[in-house]
Amino acid sequence: MKILTFNILLVFICFDTILAADEHTAITLQQAKEVGRAKSRFLKAADVETKAIDAIPTANVAYHAESVAAILNKSCLACHGPEHSEGRLRVDELNPDLLTGPDVERWREVYNVLSNSVMPPEDESDYALADTDRGNIVDWLSDELNKASLVRRNTKEHSSFRRLTKYEYNYALQDLLGLPYALANRLPPETASEDGFKNSSDLLQMSAMQFETYREIGLQALKRATVSGERPESVTYIISTQEEMEKLTGKDPAKTFDTNDDSNSKQRNQQHLFNRETSQGIQFSGGKAKPQPDAVVGQTPAVSPVVLVLPRNKELKLDLDRFLPDEGIMRVRIRAGRSTMNPDEYASLRLIFSAHTSNNANFSQTISERDIPVTASSDNPEFIHFDIPLSDIQRNPFRKLTTTFPRRDEFLHIRNVSNAGAGEERLNVLIDYIEISAPFYEQWPPKTHTDIFFASNNKGDEEVYGREVLNRFLRRVWRRPVTADEVDQFMGLFAKYRPEFSTFEDAMLEVLATALATPEFLYLTQRTTTEATEGPARISDVEFASRLSVFLWSSIPDDELLQLAEQGTLRNPEVLVAQVERMLADPRSKRFPQNFVQQWLGMDGLDSVTHITDESLKEAMQQEPVAFFDEVLRHNHSIMDFIHSDYAVVNERLAAHYGIRNVYGPQFRKVSIEPQTNRGGLLTGAAVLAMNSDGKDSHPLKRGVWMLERIIHDPPPPPPPNVPEVDLTDPEILKMTLKERIADHRNKAACVSCHSRIDPWGIAFENYDAMGKHRTHINNKPVDATSELFNKQTLAGMDGLKRYLLTDRQDQFARAMVHKMTAYALGRPLAFGDRADIDSLTGQFFRNGDGLGDLVHLIINSDIFNSK
Amino acid sequence: MNNKSNSLNRRSFLHGTGLALALPWFETFASARPEVDQTPKRFVSVYHPDGVGLPLKSDPAWKDWSWFPRGGEKDFELTKVLDVLEPLRSDITIYSGLSHPASRQVHGHSNADQYLTGAATGGHGPYKNSISLDQVYAEHAGDLTRHASLVMSTNGGVGGPRGAQTQSFNREGRPIPAMNKPKQIFDMLFVTSSKDAAARLARSKSALDLLIENTKSLGRQLSGHDQETLKQYLDAVRDTEVKLAKAQRWIDTPIPEVDTRNLHLDAEPKEARLYFQTMYELIYLSFLSDSTRVATFQLGRENGEGPHDLLSQAVGLGGAHGLTHDVKSPNGWQNLGTYNRYQAEEFGRFAQRLKDTPEPTGKGNMLDNTLAMHGSASSSFHLSRNYPIITAGGANFGFTNGRYLKFGKGNEDNQAGAGIVTDAGWQGKVDVEELPLAKLFVTILQRLGVETDSFAGDTGTLSGI
Repeated sequence: MKILTFNILLVFICFDTILAADEHTAITLQQAKEVGRAKSRFLKAADVETKAIDAIPTANVAYHAESVAAILNKSCLACHGPEHSEGRLRVDELNPDLLTGPDVERWREVYNVLSNSVMPPEDESDYALADTDRGNIVDWLSDELNKASLVRRNTKEHSSFRRLTKYEYNYALQDLLGLPYALANRLPPETASEDGFKNSSDLLQMSAMQFETYREIGLQALKRATVSGERPESVTYIISTQEEMEKLTGKDPAKTFDTNDDSNSKQRNQQHLFNRETSQGIQFSGGKAKPQPDAVVGQTPAVSPVVLVLPRNKELKLDLDRFLPDEGIMRVRIRAGRSTMNPDEYASLRLIFSAHTSNNANFSQTISERDIPVTASSDNPEFIHFDIPLSDIQRNPFRKLTTTFPRRDEFLHIRNVSNAGAGEERLNVLIDYIEISAPFYEQWPPKTHTDIFFASNNKGDEEVYGREVLNRFLRRVWRRPVTADEVDQFMGLFAKYRPEFSTFEDAMLEVLATALATPEFLYLTQRTTTEATEGPARISDVEFASRLSVFLWSSIPDDELLQLAEQGTLRNPEVLVAQVERMLADPRSKRFPQNFVQQWLGMDGLDSVTHITDESLKEAMQQEPVAFFDEVLRHNHSIMDFIHSDYAVVNERLAAHYGIRNVYGPQFRKVSIEPQTNRGGLLTGAAVLAMNSDGKDSHPLKRGVWMLERIIHDPPPPPPPNVPEVDLTDPEILKMTLKERIADHRNKAACVSCHSRIDPWGIAFENYDAMGKHRTHINNKPVDATSELFNKQTLAGMDGLKRYLLTDRQDQFARAMVHKMTAYALGRPLAFGDRADIDSLTGQFFRNGDGLGDLVHLIINSDIFNSK
Repeated sequence: MNNKSNSLNRRSFLHGTGLALALPWFETFASARPEVDQTPKRFVSVYHPDGVGLPLKSDPAWKDWSWFPRGGEKDFELTKVLDVLEPLRSDITIYSGLSHPASRQVHGHSNADQYLTGAATGGHGPYKNSISLDQVYAEHAGDLTRHASLVMSTNGGVGGPRGAQTQSFNREGRPIPAMNKPKQIFDMLFVTSSKDAAARLARSKSALDLLIENTKSLGRQLSGHDQETLKQYLDAVRDTEVKLAKAQRWIDTPIPEVDTRNLHLDAEPKEARLYFQTMYELIYLSFLSDSTRVATFQLGRENGEGPHDLLSQAVGLGGAHGLTHDVKSPNGWQNLGTYNRYQAEEFGRFAQRLKDTPEPTGKGNMLDNTLAMHGSASSSFHLSRNYPIITAGGANFGFTNGRYLKFGKGNEDNQAGAGIVTDAGWQGKVDVEELPLAKLFVTILQRLGVETDSFAGDTGTLSGI
């Protein structure tokens, strides 16, 4: 085995020599992927895969004594020995027993610098390490580290037992109760782990205040999901364009204009009512709407010849006065169509809510979660609707005043958000009917209510029906079958509460709220088992179902998943594949890219950035990496696409920012890009570049650190003591370019060791400014984005960086990706002891072709994901 | 218009607040203990991260922008950083030469955790904190009010070890989550649906009993390691039980009505001025209504990040944390000083408000019965020494103000560590002697009426206060 690996290393070295010549630039990045893949350690060495071990492994100390020690002494001792001990490392004092000795972490550092050819420094020719020697040590260390990892895995306790994160709790509650609203905002924010993950078991705390908040949120959510008594009267407003026109023209006929007359183009470009039969128009931007007591909601009147014309960025502002109820859903139904059907243009509607709270002040906020596209033609307009929870939006706090100042009314704006051009045939939204109704119920009682208080023949018997309700509810809440004893316990509580409430439902809600505060809802549990197993104990089927759904849905399992788990068939290979596919096809799976990418890449950083003032741009930036990940995931593209892709996933706003043509509309989609676009992959995403800037210019250090931490998972050490700050009052320093300044700083002895590991990565990003725009010049000087890594590898800007990662660091990136996703999937930090599992997973993953979708399946099927 | 709190209440905010509701001015309770002086003694600590500016004497910026005053105990002269406190001169005391010994060699970025605890929270390895000064006092006085303490910060929550976003830690050294939303704080303090609060309380008790039983039975099926995690949950339930027992006593008293004119409950940290003033006003109102006698407020978190970095926008400066790094940029010292000045200004406004308000029991003004402390756990550039501390008030329980008190030896002009502009500052050798800040804490606790002679392992008080 030793000889086999040795040969592989020779191959590795050959490739390196070839690439050391100028061929680097001769191949495309796509070809670089092939070249780099061919080099993979994981691909070649089938034996890297960890096999179940029969005997307890022992340390190979002998090989250290006969060979390793001498080589290390020759090449490393001068700097890491008794004379100098740089990095506080002495190679002569490292305990060669990695399995029981205390120096495993130091050995891992040695392994890293040797395997990445970072050490010994290339300019120290006296201490050069022969390739064969390097190979031998790396080989030995790899074996020893793997053995040590296995040993630890079987001795050290890990735990994925943890509280749900704030966002998981929110989704769990939403899915459990069928409420699509943000429910958990009041919980304190989570702290991210060193890896950036917020679902890390060791950081998820619990306090009395938090506990109380859970109880309150639970009860509130249950009350929102259920109803009592008769269906409440709704307040309904109906705006018929026909009637509005009649009113307006009747009042002031002189104000009408002929829409065919081009001298009226100014009026035509404003929002106005338009009679399609007479071509007559009249200005109309809103006005007071009155509730109609006898209105019937949900009607579909005949299409009217009179329509409201909403051009791009124009809105209808309706004064709804002070009659909207405090709570419940406001449904806004709008029948709308497009005036033209050019597929490159889009139009959508957005709802905005506002009030004038004093003479000089007002507030307004977008209340629709997303803009809804108008797709029908104006000849066959279609209804679109918005459901707005009135208790969740900023209301006019003065609406209940008995006096009329400050103003009590509330305004609803319907806005056309569009990319329509200014040509002859303008794309406008034409609306002929608007219905606003609150509180709105699809059915009575609503489904959220009947899901809890379902129809049953035993409804008359509170004892029996109570048990039925509890049984069903607790099973969903706890994600497992419930025992009669457990139901008894909650029935006991119900018995205590019942006399205080007038209805069965009200008393039961309090009991159900208590269930929502139980640890088995708030935590992901893993029970101990008594049955003896070999190796780490497996989690049960129902625990697996929860772990799986939290991974892919950030939430609790649905009924189907739970049922399969209870039957014990969920983990049958064909069932599991089908279930994972089903889960990924479910809209809930959107949460996986959203949350994973957010945390993996540290996207929170963009929130504290203040230099991006265009909100739609910022939002697009934020969404891009998520959409990109989604594309790679759903099409099982290679994860190397994260390093570079010949496509981008953009919407119109971001495409404009990147200079990509012919992308229209707010939705993200995959588009092919040319090399001169200077995009592709995650590294050149505007969000990453902008959040790793200082608000005015690029920040190579931040970008370098980000690259090391997030992408190749090689976090730099914390800054050492005695680092002098760059003195910006020194005129000599002020004259320098940024790169020169960094070089000046780095040349100081105290800084060189860290910065030479970080800066070159960041300098390679210099062709991108603080907005993430590509640039070739800074202050009229050409951008110099070439840098040299610690191992003397030259990176020629972003292209060079990508090229290097793809040809020489695929293994490292793949392993980083597997590591990050596994840590997220398990909800716990990975320790040294998980190394063997991660290596083995990475090996399988690489051999299978490195598709992101495959990785998800692989992790779900892995031992580590199935173990406690 | 009617500006009383109840006219603003929104049903959606009322749900569930009943749990902790109970009220101040509990006459029967007070009269049951006639020996207790009904004039409250209050304590509030305001913490700002990142320290202050300490230029070298030779630097032209020294005269105006060095944080510490010049001159002696009584004749001290405030620089531009603190001159906003001049009107309160006779009500404040400024300290130098104090720090927590356990963290003097720790990077300032880790230090918000230990400012009020004095624990050896360190810079790496295992982490353990201990009870904070405010919570020691809350254990003593917390039963006298509806809320034992009010814990606030701009960032909210607890943060993480060595990155605290709260100043308060309980007896077990666990962080107490800070509240950061004015609306939520206001609702907790002053909005209630107290009618069914008693029934609610009884129901809560039954629910907690069930939860404890349920948790124990789950615990039996978990590994030892996981049981430890679950214990935190169980502690939370038990803490809640304790709260219930306390709430029971306050249940029948009406909620205080407070003047909400100075509150902007929707203010966010990025609107720093409005937000600070509202947060301070909430402390003021909670004190005025005797809803609590203990409060902490952390302005941001060490090492920037999050809303904290937006606070300096109040004085037109970007990136609060960056200001400490940029002292060598043009106007660097002035910018940092201007931001510190703004913090002092808001603190002064709060102290002035207390001073202008007669004590409801008639004994002096509210400031005289309140010790308000303002400070940071680093001075110059991440240096964990010579904490810049101001206290205001406390005249009725023994604090003689109008003084600048220098402790320790060898640093009378605050030049040790001055002018540091490198990250190495925190490790630099400092040859001057400083006294443990815990001694000031012991003095404070004793004067607040807590019988103790030590804090964080340090025994004794500070003489000359």
